[in-house]
Amino acid sequence: MTAEEAVAGAVGQGGAVLRIEDLHVSFPTEDGRVRAVRGLSLELRPGEALGIVGESGSGKSVASLAVMGLLPRGAQVSGSARVAGREVLHLGDEELSRVRGERIAMVFQDPLTSLNPVYTVGRQIAEAVRAHRAVGEREALARAVELLAAVGIPRPEERVRSYPHELSGGMRQRVVIAIAMANEPDVIIADEPTTALDVTVQAQVLEALEAARRRTGAALVLITHDLGVVAGHVDRVAVMYAGRLVEQGPVEEVFERPRMPYTLGLLGSQPRLDEGRSVRLAPIAGAPPTLLAPPPGCPFAPRCPMAEARCTEEEPPLRATGDGHLAACHFAERLEGRTPQEVFVRSGEPGARHGAAPSPAPAPSAAPLLRAEGLVKHFPVRSKGVVRRRIGDVHAVCGVSLELREHETLALVGESGCGKSTTARLLLRLLVPDAGRVEFEGADIAALPRAELRRLRQDMQIVFQDPFASLDPRMTVAEIVAEPLRIHGLYRERGGAADVERLLRTVGLGPEHAARYPHEFSGGQRQRIGIARALALRPRTLILDEPVSALDVSIQAGVINLLEDLQEEFGLAYLFVSHDLSVVRHIADRVAVMYLGKVVETGAADRVFAAAAHPYTQTLVSAIPLPDPRKERRRQRILVRGDVPSPSAPPSGCRFRTRCPKFAAELSERERARCVEEEPPLEARVPGHLTACHYAQERALV
Amino acid sequence: MLVFVIRRLLVTVPVLLAASLLSFLLIDVTGDPLADLMVQQPPPSPEIIEAERERLYMDRPVHERYWLWLTGIGGNGDIGLLRGEFGPSVRGPAFDVGAEVAARMGVTLRLVAAAVLLALGLAVATGVVSAMRQYSALDYTLTFIGFLALAMPTFWLGALIKEAGVWANGRLGTTVFYTIGDSSADTRGMGLWERIADAGGHLVLPTLALMLTGYAAWSRYQRTAMLEVLNSDYVRLAHAKGLPRRTVMRRHALRTALIPLTSVAAVTIAEILAGTVLIETVFQWRGLGTLLVEAIRTSDAYVLMGWLMLAGTLVVLANLAADLLYGVLDPRIRYE
Repeated sequence: MTAEEAVAGAVGQGGAVLRIEDLHVSFPTEDGRVRAVRGLSLELRPGEALGIVGESGSGKSVASLAVMGLLPRGAQVSGSARVAGREVLHLGDEELSRVRGERIAMVFQDPLTSLNPVYTVGRQIAEAVRAHRAVGEREALARAVELLAAVGIPRPEERVRSYPHELSGGMRQRVVIAIAMANEPDVIIADEPTTALDVTVQAQVLEALEAARRRTGAALVLITHDLGVVAGHVDRVAVMYAGRLVEQGPVEEVFERPRMPYTLGLLGSQPRLDEGRSVRLAPIAGAPPTLLAPPPGCPFAPRCPMAEARCTEEEPPLRATGDGHLAACHFAERLEGRTPQEVFVRSGEPGARHGAAPSPAPAPSAAPLLRAEGLVKHFPVRSKGVVRRRIGDVHAVCGVSLELREHETLALVGESGCGKSTTARLLLRLLVPDAGRVEFEGADIAALPRAELRRLRQDMQIVFQDPFASLDPRMTVAEIVAEPLRIHGLYRERGGAADVERLLRTVGLGPEHAARYPHEFSGGQRQRIGIARALALRPRTLILDEPVSALDVSIQAGVINLLEDLQEEFGLAYLFVSHDLSVVRHIADRVAVMYLGKVVETGAADRVFAAAAHPYTQTLVSAIPLPDPRKERRRQRILVRGDVPSPSAPPSGCRFRTRCPKFAAELSERERARCVEEEPPLEARVPGHLTACHYAQERALV
Repeated sequence: MLVFVIRRLLVTVPVLLAASLLSFLLIDVTGDPLADLMVQQPPPSPEIIEAERERLYMDRPVHERYWLWLTGIGGNGDIGLLRGEFGPSVRGPAFDVGAEVAARMGVTLRLVAAAVLLALGLAVATGVVSAMRQYSALDYTLTFIGFLALAMPTFWLGALIKEAGVWANGRLGTTVFYTIGDSSADTRGMGLWERIADAGGHLVLPTLALMLTGYAAWSRYQRTAMLEVLNSDYVRLAHAKGLPRRTVMRRHALRTALIPLTSVAAVTIAEILAGTVLIETVFQWRGLGTLLVEAIRTSDAYVLMGWLMLAGTLVVLANLAADLLYGVLDPRIRYE
């Protein structure tokens, strides 16, 4: 059956290629049954793109795995799921294998683990073809080449013989998409397909997904936590919370007129590239309910500022609130015309940033607190075997200079492998630079005697990315927070337990949390513990290494607000390392964009985002999706080609030239020669805005 | 690949040298080959002792003796590992250690090979079944058997199996299981096939006993590896492609789950070699294991040293084979 026939057949059965009705999924655990999906009903029309949005634990992935029959043994599934009219739940192995891949295909989150490491990608695609078509190996491989070309993989004839480990994450995800489209299915389910990827690669992969849709005519279910990704790529959006569908409708309708407070809260807690620092995020208080025994009423009621007695007693049904718009809220109509700030920021707490314009950044003339000059760090690459000769270097950081003043946030942004985390570690002297110097208040920290370096560490503290790995699981929260004080012999002097209690309160935790262990806390709370620990020594500078990237949006907003408040209160200087430009836009005074170990553009955040001059910054900014369907679809896109080159052999001249859209499309042969031969210096275009590009040209992209 | 093999072989040289030094010193300082001679009654004449001392090179200083043992330079032609000579035995000048070792190695390798193959086959099969039916009654049963085999000392298991064989023979009134020796005492008049069948029959019980240690460890590893692979994304993707379940299990799950077993198996070879010493004693085989026991009893220094070196070399070779196999099985490992 071709895609068209399949679609036609499906239309005959009520116009849905996928119809889920009253789907329930639960898992038995030692604590009881976890009810991961509770009565989900959905419909997907032929060729349509549906976004399913929700935070971790909302049941969005479990529901899709249930449809694919991929849930682990022991999962209890009830309800109905029909693919092109055919019931797929509780099918036998053999029947199920005829549906999978042929009618409904899936793309998983982590491209690094989705492909079998021992077979070539060509073989893995060919296998998908041969699972449903009676064709020979040779023919199937030819089809694999064709599919690789379709998802935008350069030189597909060669790539077909590559093993997965020889390809980058973005390429591997495109291979998985090629596998998904191999048999022209009716439905492709993509479960967080870009979450593990860098933004520029995310843009490429979303492009490949679009290509797959166009070629196969398949309907797409795009599961994601990223409202921006949804805004630009789907027709309809469904929001899930605590295993239930809480809102559904056309994408513009849901984004512009949300009728469920949770959706409104998600929108309010999402930092946006098109909003500056003046708007304070509106986080949702609390955490999602446990699914062991969901509360009787609305699952969102405990976190909902609008909740009334009725909400905790009676679960609101999903009801129509507009044209094709469904919401599960007793008081959906009350959300008419209200902003997240109005609903979610408690009275007495200012909606805008402390009720005033953002605190002005300190005058440039103020002496920098922390200064780095020409930092260089190379990591040796050694040969395998006994001798382990040094066969090359990873050029992690190559001549980075930066300044950080009191009460200022400098964001270090760039994709993975650009050297931003290494730079942060060099500043703290957790790593020793190969060249360059780091000064704190004018003193070279390399020249400091051991005792003084120790003293200095009180002024510079770090918060790590992973709130799960950065806290010792065998220490209580009080011990964790007190540890820096004990190390520096200040515990008694600062007031002991009382000081720890004060620190916990500062980060929004209570004294009752002090005796507990890290595993009893959620990710957001753990990150707060990490921040309390970093604050214990009353530092003047905090190095924040991707502090919110492991957190869900609604939780992330609370941590960002906390960081902003702390800066206000203590005049802290932040070095904020992040790959998420939306967050950076929200929190940073100044930005330094790194690419392959070098700063390519730096300046005031407002200016860099409004008028990015370096092609790399431009591609980054353009790749960040806006959580606004109308704006997002109108935006000019600058797609970058390929992946970041290996930092052990950076390109000559300008390091970005191999992927630079300007180099590829706009420059003449002569102009290009300059990019290849001459490394562009970091130069001021206007005072305070420096760019390292021979042909820098400002562009507004938000 | 060739370069890697050569480099890998070169690396084994210092390892083997270190092993030779250790083997030599260990034996040299712990026993005197002449001790038995000294306490003989009536006491042998000093001339005889002196001649024996000279024949066994005990008149030379330690370092010279080590060098001699290694290279054979300056000896009587009966010593020097590099020449393929193991050295003189206390059993007298007529006793050719090399020939004895070779003959017995044939017997022992037969046992080891059978045990390793059987253990691998069973371990993979039960490991896979256990993983696919995790937490089922079958899984728990296999786990119980695995831990039982791990917990029981080899000699005890060997003795039990032997007694069971004897008991079974007694009940059946005929010899079904051979419980003594590596082959029948009298093989004259047997054709080739009869001899092979005879040797095979003698293999059954000792192999069973020797196999259990390796099997127990490997089946646990295989279960863990398989579980990990079964929960991997690429197995999920293989299901999602619409491949039949059996194909997914064989082509995607088992194929990848076998990789870690190669290195584990190589390490366990050493334990199995040690196991032969006990099993051969229990079943009264004339293999390398009993040769070791005899040599220890008679302080037969060169036999002991040679035995240790041989075992060391086998272990090193097994590891080399595992490394190379790894490269074949896992494309992520490339030897340049």
